[in-house]
Amino acid sequence: MLKRHPTLHYILTRAGWYFLTFLVAVTINFFLPRMGPSNPIDIIMAKVGSGLDTKAAKEKEEAYLKEFGLVELDNGGAILRDESGNPVRTPGWKQFRNYILMSLQGDLGTSFLNYPKKVTEIIKQAVPWTLALQFPTIMLGWIIGNILGALAAYRRGVFDRLFFPMALLLSAIPFFAFGMLLVYQFGIEWRVFPAIGGYAGNLIPSLNWSFIGSALYHYILPFLSIFLILAGGQAIGMRSMCIYELGTDYVKYAKWLGINENRVLFYMFRNAMLPQLTGLALSLGGMIGGALITEMIFSYPGLGMAVLTAIQGNDYPLIQGCTLLITVSVLLANFTVDILIGFFDPRVKAGQKGK
Amino acid sequence: MDTLRFLKRFLAGLACILLVGCGKGSKETSKPAAGGDTEFPRALTLYLAGFQWGEPNTFNPLSDWPAFPVGGNFNLMYEPLMAFNTLTGDMEPLLARSFDKTSEYVSVTMDPRATWSDGQKVTASDVRFTYEIGQLFKNAPTAFVWDYISKITVDTITDSTANSLVEKITFLINKDRNNPLVVMDFLQNVRIVPRHYLEPMLEAQGGDLSALQKLKIDQNPVVSGPYNLLRYSGEKIVLKRRDDYWGNAALRGNRLPKPQYIIHPIYKSNDHFSIALQQGNLDVSSTFIPRIWMKAKDGVRTWYSKEPFFVPAAMTMFMINVTHYPLSDKNFRRAMAAAINYTDVRELAFSLYSPGLKPGLILPFGMEERYFSAEDAQKYGVSYDPELAKKILSDAGYTSEWDESGALKGMKNAKGEQVPTVFIKSPAGWTDWEAIVKIAVKSMRAAGIDVREGFVDAGIYWQSMPSGDFDLLLHAPNPSVTPSQPWSRLEAVMSSRNWKPQGEKMNENQGRYNNPKSKEYNPAVDKLLKQIPATADETQKKELYRALNAIFMQDQPTLPLVYRPEQFYEFSVANWKNFPSEENPYAPPQSPCFGAGTKALWEIESTNK
Amino acid sequence: MNLLKTPSFLIGMGLFLSTICIALLFPLFYNLDITTRAGVPYMAPSAGHWLGTDHLGVDMVSLLVSGLRSSLYVGFLAGIIATLLGTLLGVYAGFKGGWIDDIITLITNLFLVIPTFVVLILISSSLKEGRSLALIAFIIGATTWTWSARAVRAQASSLKSRDHIALARVNGFGTFGIVTMHILPYLLSYVFMVFILQTATGILSEACISMIGLGPYDSVSLGTILNEAMRNEALTDGAWWAFIPATILITVIVFAFYVINTSMEGVFNPRLRK
Repeated sequence: MLKRHPTLHYILTRAGWYFLTFLVAVTINFFLPRMGPSNPIDIIMAKVGSGLDTKAAKEKEEAYLKEFGLVELDNGGAILRDESGNPVRTPGWKQFRNYILMSLQGDLGTSFLNYPKKVTEIIKQAVPWTLALQFPTIMLGWIIGNILGALAAYRRGVFDRLFFPMALLLSAIPFFAFGMLLVYQFGIEWRVFPAIGGYAGNLIPSLNWSFIGSALYHYILPFLSIFLILAGGQAIGMRSMCIYELGTDYVKYAKWLGINENRVLFYMFRNAMLPQLTGLALSLGGMIGGALITEMIFSYPGLGMAVLTAIQGNDYPLIQGCTLLITVSVLLANFTVDILIGFFDPRVKAGQKGK
Repeated sequence: MDTLRFLKRFLAGLACILLVGCGKGSKETSKPAAGGDTEFPRALTLYLAGFQWGEPNTFNPLSDWPAFPVGGNFNLMYEPLMAFNTLTGDMEPLLARSFDKTSEYVSVTMDPRATWSDGQKVTASDVRFTYEIGQLFKNAPTAFVWDYISKITVDTITDSTANSLVEKITFLINKDRNNPLVVMDFLQNVRIVPRHYLEPMLEAQGGDLSALQKLKIDQNPVVSGPYNLLRYSGEKIVLKRRDDYWGNAALRGNRLPKPQYIIHPIYKSNDHFSIALQQGNLDVSSTFIPRIWMKAKDGVRTWYSKEPFFVPAAMTMFMINVTHYPLSDKNFRRAMAAAINYTDVRELAFSLYSPGLKPGLILPFGMEERYFSAEDAQKYGVSYDPELAKKILSDAGYTSEWDESGALKGMKNAKGEQVPTVFIKSPAGWTDWEAIVKIAVKSMRAAGIDVREGFVDAGIYWQSMPSGDFDLLLHAPNPSVTPSQPWSRLEAVMSSRNWKPQGEKMNENQGRYNNPKSKEYNPAVDKLLKQIPATADETQKKELYRALNAIFMQDQPTLPLVYRPEQFYEFSVANWKNFPSEENPYAPPQSPCFGAGTKALWEIESTNK
Repeated sequence: MNLLKTPSFLIGMGLFLSTICIALLFPLFYNLDITTRAGVPYMAPSAGHWLGTDHLGVDMVSLLVSGLRSSLYVGFLAGIIATLLGTLLGVYAGFKGGWIDDIITLITNLFLVIPTFVVLILISSSLKEGRSLALIAFIIGATTWTWSARAVRAQASSLKSRDHIALARVNGFGTFGIVTMHILPYLLSYVFMVFILQTATGILSEACISMIGLGPYDSVSLGTILNEAMRNEALTDGAWWAFIPATILITVIVFAFYVINTSMEGVFNPRLRK
């Protein structure tokens, strides 16, 4: 029991701090878009108002302001006006209060630009694709990159001399430029892979082999464009860490003592991987942002483009919904890694104990 | 080692679950109709794109901006009373067989054969409901029509030829506006909705239209058009042919449209349309594709097989806020008009998709040609002439200051004061518009006019337009081709009816031209704008248009830059042939889902088996 | 120094210095004209225009060199800001530990979570001059410092338990003294490597941001060149010169930075050199 205590204490304190971060982040993400000068209704009016003359446009605009909860209403449901006849805008703190109340009930609001679609609907439909593209790619890139890096560090020699500069060069290529080159070469010039889309244009997503086959076929180029570069970067990092560990005293000592090589390798891996885990957390956290460009290049389904349009159009509810998602995923990833490091790295535990 | 291996296996498993899960998840997002079709044979499917950006939000015909094909002028699901052929200027029958226009009213005779997809007839009651809902609710899509019509009456008359009873609907023209032209616009773009289907829904919402507008109406909606919604997702919208469409027998000689399915893919980047067209995965597109002649070898075609490739129908122009100095000086504006290199704009920014620009607001070709006076253009207008621009400036007392390298430093006016720099506002990231602005700035500065690009985010751009917060703003006012052109373009640019100072919102004449409260106010402009729609006599109309255009050329309240088509009508002959084109003009240059172009669906043939 | 004898360092430095030369010295010999229409749009490379023209007919070489200068400027500025912020916060957090560490970690996580694009659009819409290179560099710096903060913190906290620090404490040095005299010197080489990586990140981030369309309004950068090439369908029309040279430039610079970083790692960590 006593052994459990410091670990539990560690987990709980970390969780506490992360929760606090979450609260602050949600508040900032709420007020940040509203601090800008541009007004979401104007963009809607641009779509809707062409052909209307000024008077009709004004009435439509006020109808939307009312609908989006941006103006104060009196008891009868009509818009409150000030002396010059303009509608009274709802103050920021009130909007925040409404937002929190609604979110706790699971309602993240209605998107302005995609009215009347609900934010939860948009996110639910699009996120699986973003996750499906990013998560396996990042994990595989991380795992394989680390394995290759460790291999290069352990073997050295010719393999290392060839592999290392290549990996370095690969990781220096901007991944979107690489993606576009892949599309051009393999999708357009040679027509080996599809250039556009998440699955064939004449298929409907369903659980049959033709769809899964098509989805996997369309998956290859976007996957490669991210995976190769990520793996390259990871390999280099892992290689450095492993080389460092290989030369440490405890490894030399253990070898000299005649301890089984695999055991030694295991401990070396574990220590070398710790900083890599931090990198993994960062990558996983940046999933949704990173998906954006890939989506644009490949017309891949996902949340990315919707987020960008929302940000440019000041679609507050959708921005809040997406940033909430990003916040949760980043913090969760970092929290998990913190806990894992806590388990793997005795120094951290020692540091905690010392308090 | 074990922990590591376990971790790896666990994560790999997670990845597989996610992949499968995404398949499942997406299955739910793409809403299948009953009896869901999942196979779309190429020989029976038409792929067209360019009308839906982003996820489809709603298919409610009473919503303000529903997704394709419920919004806009798409006649696939819901139909308007008539269709306007933008090539010939004829109103073609659809739900209404014929129309009649006088100075007091516009009337249509319904086609008694028209039916809804649930078997009920399309009647004048549906038309009444569609229009009158705008009277009851300020936020209905038809609210604004009541500025132009005052009453709708329905009579049942005997039709002599068919020897049956038909309904005649009369729209009484609102005498305040007195504008039968705009009423004609309604006939061809207000989509008629089923009363027996929507009215009960409205009552179920307690008579609250906003609540009704929130419903998606995407499950087997009741429609009158040749296609109905099958399924949709964030990647595509699928329509299926209605074999019991009333128009097949009544209007199209007892034939079915050739494509059984119409699929609208949703791409996320403009170049994907081009790629898809070239690879034969897209049949029709309406996006701006540069250098389209280079794609001809892959089967990509346009209306014309050479310049200008597309049929021009609208103008892109710089709106000028004439309340800002020095733009308040007519001579300054005229000098700007003479300093822009329109050829470069045409060739570099617009890929030659426009004929050469002529002065004035009236198109010198097509249906507007009869109102265009070449003589006036010569007399009052200016073309690209940098020397003339410099002369106008110096005559008006402006001097341009140059530095040693030959670049423009600034301008001074006759009194020796520094003239403020003029900024052109345009959305950042719209590359073809950015190119236009850059070319214009370059040629104007070379002539000594101190003007600069002012790219802003799209949000700021849309905001600045109605409030007048700009010096110059790039914009294409009223780009659709409708019966009320060219009047509606002139109205959008020059009307002072709703004149408001900068800061308050205006939806037309955002440049604040012709302030009614100033002493330079020219009442002739608004008078002409009021007279033209009320004039039926062609000769008189020509005189009025000529007079108005002459005022425009002399005052130069905006700077037209280039002509643009209503739609970028481009298609691929790899999988379907017999699209309308210059050699085969049986339908106007529109995507076969739009307006009068819809009839192409019955004429195209598949090249596949 | 050992460094100058390492072949990889020389290669990396060589690459980097050549790009700097191009950026700084090339304009002296070649007339950089990014506004004049020098030929047909997407004209192939020729004797007069070594890398052809872009979609407006402007000379590609001029665009590339101007873009190179802008990208380097953004990269360095962002790198400096990120390294300064990250190092200061990281050292303080790592050395002090305790609840100061927790607070700084909280701030770090906050910055990780706030999306760059929102801040970028927000600030650029509020400023009259809109998005300039400096603003983009500033925002990249202000959002990527989290990485260097973590890295430096890890180093500082491991240093904290070293013996000479304990000795310094016993001798009565205050926090500030210990940090400046006993920690920073050890960290300097590390911080320099961090700076190099942050600059590389800055250049890549700028390219990323411009690629989406959120790039600088009035300047040309390598990212905006890529963006224009993509939107004007350069590649599909065969105009590789509008896209590939810019990609190569970015790759070469970032590669040079990585090589320099690796070689320095090799010198300061002798075990890596074997």
